Amino acid sequence: MVDPMTLSNTRSARGTSRWLGLLTCVAVIVVLPLIFRDAYWRGIITICAINILLAIGLDFIFGFAGQLSLGHSAFAGIGAYTSTVLVTALGANFWVALVCGVVCAGLAGVLLSAFAVRLKGHYLAIASLGFAVITYQILVNWISVTQGPLGIYGIPPPPSISIPGLQTINFSNHQAFFYLVSAFALLTYVLLRNLTRSPIGDALTAVREDEISAASLGIKGTKWKMMAFGIGCAIAGLAGCFYASFIGTLVPDAFFITESFMILAMVVIGGRGNLWGAVLGAVLLTVVPELLRGIGDFRLVAYGLALTLVALFLPGGLSGVLIQSARRFNGSVTRAKSETHA
Amino acid sequence: MLEIKSGTAGGTSPAGVKPLFDVGNISKRFGGIHAVRSVSFEVVEGTVFAIIGPNGAGKSTLLNLLSGNYQVDSGSLTFDGVNLAGKPAYERARLGIARTFQKIRLFKQLTVLENVVAGFHIHRRIPVLEYIWPLQAAEADRCRWREEALELLTFVGLKDRADVVAGSLAYGQQRLLEIARALATRPRLFMLDEPAAGLNNAEADFLLERLDMLRKRRMTVVLVEHNMELVMNVADRIYVLEAGQQLFVGSPAEVQNDPAVIAAYLGEELH
Amino acid sequence: MLDLLPILAQQIINGLVLGSIYVLATLGLTLIFGVLGQINFAHADFMTLGAFAAYFVARASGGNYLIAIVAALLVGALLGLVVNQAVFSLLRGQDETRPLVATIGVSVLLENAALAFLGPVPYTFDSPYSSQVIRAAGMYFTMQSVLVMFIAVLAVGSLYAFLKLTFVGKALRALSQDQEAAGLMGINKKALIALTFVVGSAFAGLAGAMLGPILVLTPFAGATVIVKCFAIVIIGGFGNVEGTIVAGLMIGLIESFTTQMLSPGMSDIVVFGILLLTLAVRPTGLIAERREENV
Repeated sequence: MVDPMTLSNTRSARGTSRWLGLLTCVAVIVVLPLIFRDAYWRGIITICAINILLAIGLDFIFGFAGQLSLGHSAFAGIGAYTSTVLVTALGANFWVALVCGVVCAGLAGVLLSAFAVRLKGHYLAIASLGFAVITYQILVNWISVTQGPLGIYGIPPPPSISIPGLQTINFSNHQAFFYLVSAFALLTYVLLRNLTRSPIGDALTAVREDEISAASLGIKGTKWKMMAFGIGCAIAGLAGCFYASFIGTLVPDAFFITESFMILAMVVIGGRGNLWGAVLGAVLLTVVPELLRGIGDFRLVAYGLALTLVALFLPGGLSGVLIQSARRFNGSVTRAKSETHA
Repeated sequence: MLEIKSGTAGGTSPAGVKPLFDVGNISKRFGGIHAVRSVSFEVVEGTVFAIIGPNGAGKSTLLNLLSGNYQVDSGSLTFDGVNLAGKPAYERARLGIARTFQKIRLFKQLTVLENVVAGFHIHRRIPVLEYIWPLQAAEADRCRWREEALELLTFVGLKDRADVVAGSLAYGQQRLLEIARALATRPRLFMLDEPAAGLNNAEADFLLERLDMLRKRRMTVVLVEHNMELVMNVADRIYVLEAGQQLFVGSPAEVQNDPAVIAAYLGEELH
Repeated sequence: MLDLLPILAQQIINGLVLGSIYVLATLGLTLIFGVLGQINFAHADFMTLGAFAAYFVARASGGNYLIAIVAALLVGALLGLVVNQAVFSLLRGQDETRPLVATIGVSVLLENAALAFLGPVPYTFDSPYSSQVIRAAGMYFTMQSVLVMFIAVLAVGSLYAFLKLTFVGKALRALSQDQEAAGLMGINKKALIALTFVVGSAFAGLAGAMLGPILVLTPFAGATVIVKCFAIVIIGGFGNVEGTIVAGLMIGLIESFTTQMLSPGMSDIVVFGILLLTLAVRPTGLIAERREENV
């Protein structure tokens, strides 16, 4: 039996380290726009935050529930266009439109899942691809609503918020917008992390690892897959809403299947199934191509190469490599300790 | 903990007592092949019911029909008065039917402990939303499950391997882990598909002990097995299946002495 | 009413031509999936690179389209061999999504490498036969269409003969039905898989050469077609050659008619709508057999 004293000690130790981790993240977020003061790099870190949202959403679907979704960016598109059309054509409030965008994207995810829920591996992957193509074509062809390939212009940033007694927060300011998106990203990360560390995470993992034996344990595969899709795609919708608001213009090409592959690459290269791997992948694949601008078009070749090599040789992604190194390091430290005690 | 259910031991159902599991004339075809044909039997609560038969007799198919991994083409299946027809595997698990698999289906990437804890998921009462920002109740649940999981692991002798990745266990230990995980669902009926397959004598003896302990705690067990020594020592009633149909059903002593069974299957092995 | 007949027939011919190309493009995927159980995402780029190979060889040889086709075949075959050795051999027996993801990586790599070397501006691939028009029974075909159908029939016919009549072909069919049994019968799985890849990818290259004059030739040309190929593989039944042929022609016809009667964009929606419907109702494909899951 585990000693209850040790159990509560480890629990409080874990709790402390979690708060510490949270504070570090907040600190990093606060500091970043102060380091990068020019509009270009502030834009990059904002896109990075948006990509983090996309990546953790896909990790939830692919890394935790084991469902290979190849059309994730389509859901960002649904969120983006829903909220944008509501704001520009119907004059809705930004926040109301945001919620609508998120809900629509989530429902679309559940819809796809309903079709694809009995499918395995390849069938699911292609179904998701098909869904993404249909969504893209709808965005391109439903010109009366989406303006088609010409796109929607002049999308306003979120309306300013006045805090009584203090100043007004104006979201056309890049710094303020970055804080807004990052806050959402951090909150989403924390909530997702809580979910995955709970019995919900157990159920998803069971479904991913072996759906048949999961069923013998009373776990209904289809229900959990649909939940994973609903939540993951809703998060993509959230990202899409911010994207539209940030860039100011919206074209269907921003949500073509090549973007889905980029998000997949973030999750695969960063390492799936632990959430922070997806964050790592998102950061890397946003920032590194910027650093490599010097070599021109070959930087995209690099990302294709990285994806292939990681898929071939590093199934756990970069986070897997880091975890293994940490274990080996811990192992050698423990060994060293026991040796000195002997 | 392991459910302690009262039930009758021995061979036949006492008059008036409804059996826990009532299988009525079930059949299953795959294309042109009649895998299971008009099979009927009753399983009394608290007993061990073994299904034996030569290779290809349809034993695993039969078990899959009982667990819900396959659906019957015709016939009736009743568990504790509930009609199982059309119910998929996860629903039957929720009714109290647990099983292990012939080809081991563990969550190989998870640890031994995590595998067993997954089995407790069936007892989750707290809604999903409350796990987004976990409250005390949610955390307490999980802690309790981990403790109970360790007890189950002690039962199968794997407690000191709790933090080992399941995929790295020896074959015999993996089989025991599957049993521990299934028991976590606190089943009323426990079905095992060739649990002794691939085990050496020492491991098979250990398994026999475990099954005997389950039997003493009045767990209802349906056992598909090839290992005759195990079956004869632990079963209350044996059903002999050949080519998808019933060849004989009775107590171990009756089965051993039936000429048809001996001729078709057991031959010299038993004496 | 009778005026409609030539138009209808025209659409049917167009549809069949388009369908033939789809069949060529998809057969490779079907064969590979049949023996390996894997999808090669880079198949799209084998088509693109086959198209480019055909383009450059045609230019270099002063407009000899037929040699260009051979070149495309060879390029496809070579790429197939490389990807098989580099990706699928390495990942044999692993979790089935890993090779798929790896081939997505290869696809991205090839596309962007092509982009870096060839640029995003579309190349105009003029087959010498595109301008030769034949008129028969009130309909117009280009010589190109005739050539495409001829080559498609030839290729598919040869493949069929190969599969049904030769020993290697039969071994391939055995392998796609039961990996284990085939291995026990002394069939060299690795070599056979490699051969399948080579043949399948050669078909991709060939399809590319056929598509070059029709599509907008950019490094992303194959990508626009491949998703439809996946749809065809599913609708026809994974690994089912006859199903692919029927489904491919069907999709070609559907696309031809919806493009004419609705709009080009709508044809995609219709085709993928059918895909999703097939997946919902009969995931093993409209023509394939049903197989119950082995527990």
